[in-house]
Amino acid sequence: MSRAEATRQDTKGRRPIGLLLVAVPVFLVLSLIVWPVALSVFDTLTVETPSGVTLSLDAYRFFFSDSFSLRNLWMTVQVAAICTALLLAISLPIALYLRFSTSRLTGYIQALALFPLFVPSILLAYALIRTLGPNGTVDILLSAVGLPKLASPYLTIWGPIIGLVWDNLPLTLLIVLAGLGNVSRASIDAARDVGANRVQLLRYIILPRIRSTLLVAASFVILGLFSAFTLPYLLGPAVPEMMGPFMRRTIIDVDDPLQARTQAVVTFLICAAFAYFYVRSIARTRREQSS
Amino acid sequence: MNRRNLFRSTIAAAALLAMPAAAMADVNRIDVYITGDSNIINFWNNIIKPAYEKANPQYTLNVVSARNNIAPIVDRALAALGSDVDPQVDIFDENDPNLPKGAIEKGLWVDFTKAGLANYGKLNPVTLETDYGLPYRGTQVVLAYDTTKLKPEDAPKTWAELVAWMKANPGQFTHNRPDTGGSGGNFVRRAIHEANGRDPSLFRIDNYVAGESDERLAKGFELLKEIAPYTYGPGSYSGDNMQSIQLLAQGVVTMVPVWSDMALDAVNKGVLPETTGFTQLTDLAFAGGFADMTVPTNAGNLEATMKLADIVLSPEVQTKVVTEIGAFPAISWEHLPQDLAAKYAAMQPASIPTFPGGPWVSAISDGWFRTVAPHVTR
Repeated sequence: MSRAEATRQDTKGRRPIGLLLVAVPVFLVLSLIVWPVALSVFDTLTVETPSGVTLSLDAYRFFFSDSFSLRNLWMTVQVAAICTALLLAISLPIALYLRFSTSRLTGYIQALALFPLFVPSILLAYALIRTLGPNGTVDILLSAVGLPKLASPYLTIWGPIIGLVWDNLPLTLLIVLAGLGNVSRASIDAARDVGANRVQLLRYIILPRIRSTLLVAASFVILGLFSAFTLPYLLGPAVPEMMGPFMRRTIIDVDDPLQARTQAVVTFLICAAFAYFYVRSIARTRREQSS
Repeated sequence: MNRRNLFRSTIAAAALLAMPAAAMADVNRIDVYITGDSNIINFWNNIIKPAYEKANPQYTLNVVSARNNIAPIVDRALAALGSDVDPQVDIFDENDPNLPKGAIEKGLWVDFTKAGLANYGKLNPVTLETDYGLPYRGTQVVLAYDTTKLKPEDAPKTWAELVAWMKANPGQFTHNRPDTGGSGGNFVRRAIHEANGRDPSLFRIDNYVAGESDERLAKGFELLKEIAPYTYGPGSYSGDNMQSIQLLAQGVVTMVPVWSDMALDAVNKGVLPETTGFTQLTDLAFAGGFADMTVPTNAGNLEATMKLADIVLSPEVQTKVVTEIGAFPAISWEHLPQDLAAKYAAMQPASIPTFPGGPWVSAISDGWFRTVAPHVTR
């Protein structure tokens, strides 16, 4: 038996076991996620008539003609966009510093930036009310030095934005930091040698190399923002609501599971678009690495 | 102790340990099933149990947490009715004797009007809804306010006075969204009562009719839209009961509706300052309710259980209801220490209207969010 033959036999013998191992998670995903999601989507697309179940877009027609629902969706999109822009703008400089600085401080700064990862969002919400809320710590400090009080972000759209940025910072930072690992010091030094200044370095050397990383970070963060619940619920305004609290209220309080599902499907479709970017970017990176 | 005695006592001890738990359910144990949260369980274990066991040393109190799973235990008692089987439950701390339907007719529950309890006559008449339930702690939505900004004699006493005060003091009042807690929820319901002739009997669990009932609700929403520009923010409705209390504690607003037990607890813990005042509307109070104890007639220790019920209604335990869990006492305030009665005089309920749940909840939530909440936004 040649060696190649032996290997082939070997993989042949292992294949059923491999498939079996994969079967368990695949079965779980199918039964616990895909199947219930499919049922929900089916429910939103059908109505019961005396002659049986027929296809209908009524649920979606209601959602897209209801200014209240659309306003909530629009607020969610706005919050997601603002948060993502802020997160990238904040985490990029920190990541650049952590990647290229040789200072001893980097360890502490990284620990500080990752700290929010370990704080439950309900604690964060009440802490923010006490600090940034009306007559909170910040107001007390401001008035101590004779400055006017803060226009409190609490119970406005900026409440959840501040909370969500704080909450999502560690994840974004870790992704951007990983992406910066692809930028070699040599290429930076080379660019510096030919006279590139800092802005040029960022624009021509660093950003092109981490573009897909930034896209991945943005997709990841947006997926989380669309399903955010605790912070918008506790810190946001009564109206417009973000989709998380809106869906909860629709199913629990308004007792309208059909509209709640419709809201979920609409949210899901928007998220799916970003998930597509993410998957495509991952696939491309894999291809590049393997070739 | 000689060897034989040692041997005997060892056997005896082993036999005792080996006895099945059911056999330990001896005739001197009183099983109390609690529906409430951990604060209520603690109250029974730390206050009522020692008081009862001291007065009746031959009995022990077994406090069991049933949370929201009380129905199967009620069914067990009903199934055992008329047989010799001990249902292993002597008293429920919070239970609706009207459920399951027909249980009263079958004679499952003790009629407290005929039970001869020594303290029954001390009960505040407004707390009594049924002969088969024994109220012992209550809570109701009241208005909490900062007495450093609003003098108690100027505190509003009617809906009209409240609205006038809000208009004179814009931004000094807030309440939470009706879906996030009963203090805001019952404030909204009070507006609905106000717009419908202050007649709570118009709203029953079984009389919601889409369209017609929505018009009644809409009249209440109109009143709320009228005051919306004068709320904190304006139109910044807080996210739950506790946030309203926090806004009052931080001096952001002067007045908020609160659950009486939560607010008293907050005062006791120092979350709200001692300068917090309470007031109730006298034209029609905010909604609330009392927890009713029920006793199955086939309880294994009926006589001892009635003694327990009497102790729960005693002025000593009822005082603790106020000081420990911040709830309303079920007995009239004249039976309680005078300083306590004076401190909470403004909270003493003259009446406790109720508002039904069911379809009304969804109609109110949807209606409020679609009409009142967007009326003004920050």
